[in-house]
Amino acid sequence: MTFERLKPGHPAHLVLGLVIWSVWFVLLYGGLSVACELAPPGAEQGALNWLNATLLVLGVFFFVMLLAGAYMSWRHAPSAESDQPQQRFLGRVAAAVYLFAAIASLAIAVPSLVMPPCL
Amino acid sequence: MIERIAERNHGRHQRLDRVWSYKPGWGAFAAVNHTTIGLRFLVTGLIFFLVGGLLAMLIRTQLALPNQNIVSPALYNQLFTMHGTVMMFLFAIPVLEGAAMYLIPKMIGARDLVFPRLSALGYWCYLFGGLIIMSSLLLNIAPDAGWFMYTPLSSIEYSPGPGSDFWLIGITFVEISAISAGVELVVSILRTRTKGMSLNRMPVFCWYILAMAFMIIFGFPPLILGSILLELERAAGFIFFAVDGGGDPLLWQHLFWLFGHPEVYIIFLPAAGIVSTLIPVFAQRPLVGYRWIVLAIIVMGFISFGLWVHHMFTVGIPSLALAFFSVASMLVAIPTGIQIFAWLATLWSGHVKYSLPMLWIVGFLVVFVCGGFTGVMLALVPFNWQVHDTHFVVAHMHYVLVGGMMFPLVAGLYYWLPHVSGRMSSERLGRWGFWLFFIGFNLTFFIMHLTGLLGMPRRVYSYDAGLGWEWFNLISSIGGFITGIGVAVIILDIALHFRFGRKADRNPWNADTLEWATPMPVTTYNFASLPTIETRTPMWDRPDLPERIENGEFGLDEPRHDLRETWGSDAVTGELKEIVHLPANSWLPLLSASFIALMCICLLTKSYLLALPACLLAVGYLLQWSWHNGAHPIAAPFYDDEPYSPPLHSRTCDGPGRWGMIITMMANGTLYASLLFGWFYLWTAGPSWQAPDDGPISFWPLLASGGLLTICVLLYRQLVARLGRGESNGLERGLWLACLIGLVHFATLLWVLLAAPLQPTMSAHDSVLTVMLMYLLLHSGLAVILTGLQAVRVRIRYVGARAPYEPFVLRPFWSYTLGVFWISFAAFILLPMGWGGG
Repeated sequence: MTFERLKPGHPAHLVLGLVIWSVWFVLLYGGLSVACELAPPGAEQGALNWLNATLLVLGVFFFVMLLAGAYMSWRHAPSAESDQPQQRFLGRVAAAVYLFAAIASLAIAVPSLVMPPCL
Repeated sequence: MIERIAERNHGRHQRLDRVWSYKPGWGAFAAVNHTTIGLRFLVTGLIFFLVGGLLAMLIRTQLALPNQNIVSPALYNQLFTMHGTVMMFLFAIPVLEGAAMYLIPKMIGARDLVFPRLSALGYWCYLFGGLIIMSSLLLNIAPDAGWFMYTPLSSIEYSPGPGSDFWLIGITFVEISAISAGVELVVSILRTRTKGMSLNRMPVFCWYILAMAFMIIFGFPPLILGSILLELERAAGFIFFAVDGGGDPLLWQHLFWLFGHPEVYIIFLPAAGIVSTLIPVFAQRPLVGYRWIVLAIIVMGFISFGLWVHHMFTVGIPSLALAFFSVASMLVAIPTGIQIFAWLATLWSGHVKYSLPMLWIVGFLVVFVCGGFTGVMLALVPFNWQVHDTHFVVAHMHYVLVGGMMFPLVAGLYYWLPHVSGRMSSERLGRWGFWLFFIGFNLTFFIMHLTGLLGMPRRVYSYDAGLGWEWFNLISSIGGFITGIGVAVIILDIALHFRFGRKADRNPWNADTLEWATPMPVTTYNFASLPTIETRTPMWDRPDLPERIENGEFGLDEPRHDLRETWGSDAVTGELKEIVHLPANSWLPLLSASFIALMCICLLTKSYLLALPACLLAVGYLLQWSWHNGAHPIAAPFYDDEPYSPPLHSRTCDGPGRWGMIITMMANGTLYASLLFGWFYLWTAGPSWQAPDDGPISFWPLLASGGLLTICVLLYRQLVARLGRGESNGLERGLWLACLIGLVHFATLLWVLLAAPLQPTMSAHDSVLTVMLMYLLLHSGLAVILTGLQAVRVRIRYVGARAPYEPFVLRPFWSYTLGVFWISFAAFILLPMGWGGG
């Protein structure tokens, strides 16, 4: 599928935000498990270590990316006065899905602020 | 004039009914129509519910007083295992699938589901699988390791009897039914909606079922894989979950809950769909926040896959990882909350009529919200640790599942009963049933929260007096029996209504959705003509719709050449794309399912020599099934007066079959991804994982095999691309060539497996590699056989430029086979070589 075919208004955007969230979730859980197996930060460092920092940076990255997706979808959705209710429906729902995915992506990374990673 | 119209309509009815009705007598077993199959699912599921309920009554009788010995500890283990298994696998999911199968075509203005034989196969697999599991109870060898079959308790060492085998084989058999229903429902909803029914005009129930069906596609394969691996461990001595040899029992928990948690939502979503359908009808106004509800459905479908570890908070996972799942568990409350507020807003702004179905909806709101609150409590890790494996969890689970599924299901049952029987049930008897059930249920399970908070553990067959649990257990047991009486009253009401119920008016609840535009009781073909839809609430906006449909004012009002036909439409816009011709009555689903059942029984009795012919016969019938397609005389042979705009689907390149194949490959891909997960999990977390320095699989022959497969798939794709352009010369030769190259690839791969010094009974490493190679072989072998069949079909002109459909259906399968081969090569061969120690 080309990017051209994935322009705003494509029905794939109804789920794309949450697909990205899913990838991030797997990366978060899987990455943490593998990192703790291979190079666990010292327990004395608490939450201030390279692993938590990486997870937080990635969390912010996914948050910003998904927020941009929400903005794009919202902007390209036709107005209520237009004669394209179907495109408006797709655009608005996609924007909300992206927004939820953005919040969820940040929310699952937040515990990295306070908790040590491998205990 | 009116008489002439009635006469014409009667004639149309007779012609359509002749094409769509099933054969008399034993011929009923060959029925494939969605109305028949959906009702069979519902009735069978309700019978299993009664069995599960009976088991619950036995459990409550045993626990009513301390130190009772009504049942032995061993039998008690069987009872609670079978109660959970029956209710989850044989009642909740199949009944909701059955309701969806019955309703979806009627709601989207179609005549049937898109793969009717698959519906029938699903039903027979469900019935036979269910009977196999139930037979173990009668033989007193039922599974007894809990409905989640945790290893090592369910492993051969601690469960040497056949109970676990019955569970693993029977449930996997039943899951064929779930996956087939999932594929069927996704493609039907996306591709067979009537003219004009764009996504934003789709009934909200269809959104729920679409999400549920996709969740089945992605949720069930991890458990199917887990069951296959555990059965291989039990029956053939492979190692996946035993620590000695490199396995890990926690892998089972991951695979089980990767399925198990989404399953809760697979059950909840269709039930919530019933709520979202009924509330607007009884409030007599459109649903508030349709778009919000669609958002909530999509979000719930995804987030619910990120919660599986919240069933494993106590197994020793790092606390930060637990926090991820804890947050995700709380996030899922947001889409649930959206739906509840939308329902309340609809009720608030409408004129609510508290008829019997609405009473059950109110019951749902009360019970489910309570269950949701305790769910948020359990999402908190410290509280979860505190009440883990106590009756608090049992109470929460029942509030969510019975509140979230049973109440809406009964509401739906009463609501759509007139549609099935043409009669209304008794309001008075129904209210008695509701109040008995509601009071009994809350008495049982509200009190059970307290029993759990006082520390009573789950799955104990008895308890001592003086622990402070006696009164609570007695009240719970009394409540359980009141619930049982409530169920009996409901059954009595439904049974009596068929005989004594008042004749129902058409659309008795003044509903807005299309299923009420069919005659009551419903005809075999649903609609005499397939309506055009202009709004989301067609029955409110066009009250004359049923009459116009019956007068044949819309499409496909006359059967042509005795074909069963329905519209095929664009997945987004609902614009017409093709006429889908559907298979008529067939014995093949029953025959295929019977031989699969025979194979399962042979595996259970360890008669492996008999299992092989049973398997071959099942495959043979399934191939015969695939033969009766396209331009085959039994399906849609070429006619001179064939429609071209829109064309028959078998004359196109993008019919529903291709969509079905892609969706099936999604399920298949999830199973494969679960295997990959198992490989990496054991590699990184297996306590005794060991890998040889040099991998046991020959590198170069495997690479050569992959090269051959790549050439074969490229050739196949080129042939199909040419066919899409209408060029069919050399197609048969090309297919035979692809078949030959594929065969050489298969033979090379088989040699790689046989020549490798794999010892799957000695190490988990070799076990996983063996399963991986067998998986690749299965796909390559099947692709070669199907391509060979295509070549033969080209020769006898069932496939060609005029009917290019089938090679397009097969193309995703070849692409998938190629994809998993190279991913396997990278993950199982290259990565361990590079890392040193795979």
